Amino acid sequence: MNTSRENMIAGLAEGLQPVRRINPRDGLLLLAFATLVAFGVSVVVFDFWFGMLEGQASAFFWVTNGLVLLLGCASALALILGGSPRVGQRENAPGWSAAMVAVLPIAAIIALFTGEANHVHEGLNDPVAAMCTKASVSAALLVGLAAVMWLRRSAPVSIERSAWLVGLASGSLGTVAYGITCPLDTVSHLGLWHVAPIGIAAVAARLVVPPLIRW
Amino acid sequence: MIGDEATLSRLMASAQDGDKAAYNVLLSEAGLWLERYYRRRVPPSQLDDLVQDVLLAIHAKRATYDPTRPFLPWLAAIARYRWVDHLRKVYKHESKEIEDDDAIEDSDEEVTLARVSLERLFGYLNEKQATAIELVKIEGLSIREASQRTGQSESLVKVNIHRGLKKLATLVEKAE
Repeated sequence: MNTSRENMIAGLAEGLQPVRRINPRDGLLLLAFATLVAFGVSVVVFDFWFGMLEGQASAFFWVTNGLVLLLGCASALALILGGSPRVGQRENAPGWSAAMVAVLPIAAIIALFTGEANHVHEGLNDPVAAMCTKASVSAALLVGLAAVMWLRRSAPVSIERSAWLVGLASGSLGTVAYGITCPLDTVSHLGLWHVAPIGIAAVAARLVVPPLIRW
Repeated sequence: MIGDEATLSRLMASAQDGDKAAYNVLLSEAGLWLERYYRRRVPPSQLDDLVQDVLLAIHAKRATYDPTRPFLPWLAAIARYRWVDHLRKVYKHESKEIEDDDAIEDSDEEVTLARVSLERLFGYLNEKQATAIELVKIEGLSIREASQRTGQSESLVKVNIHRGLKKLATLVEKAE
């Protein structure tokens, strides 16, 4: 070993301080907390939709929010585990979950073209589409900030994958946090405007996050 | 003699608790391991810089090691990550050829090395990408020299390097 490296090692060892090991559970709690905050802000701004507790929500409301929540959980877990370097990772739960959620807009488009879209809130002219999208993306931003904070503390070795996961996790969890305040529960509204924010968040995160988490 | 997996794992756990002596031994052993790991994939003149870069990365991210998991895959993931980063940054035009017979020596970590080796990462690239990266980023040829050597156009060499490095970056933790 050369002198330069020996000196460097001696210097690093001399200045060594004990560290608190990074626990994936802390990361999950951080994302859960951010999601709860996003939910709380959504409720304050838009009011909680009590109709869902009184049996007024359609089955599609539960299916959509359930699948999106599942995607959020799978992505969040993969994101947190990806912060600890290792080789031979093969799980692709976020990919399969995203594929399941991608069925929703397809169902919405089929519904539109088969004449079921006769409600004012349905279809591409949905007057609250922009509001739902913006609110979901705003909630996603909050969760995304927490995810980036976590990744900066940890050591992701697949930067692009981690960036996609930030977008999928924050987009999904943010959409669910806002989604349970939204009383519009039709196939076309949920399938389009409660899924689009996930895609927007994923693409935005892929573009913005890498320089923030590279180490 | 490079420490075995259990010893390295124990040393790292002690280092996380602030044991300076254990940390000194760990970094020295990790440095030797990294030298062997990179030997055939980095020009000798850049080897020590890269090893030191990884040692600094280990220091900065030591809190991310989980003592209940093996140490060498953790180290190898960081080593791969820094190696791909190194290939992206370094554009060396003059470098000594790496000797093909510079084989990895037999050791207790042979199996681990085989599992996490950089050679395997190259196996995921197509032949043209692997050749372009090998010639330009590792052997230090210019784009023009690599183009003449391979028969690929200069543009194609650049494209193959770009795509190959992008693919390597996605394989850092995925590939065994």
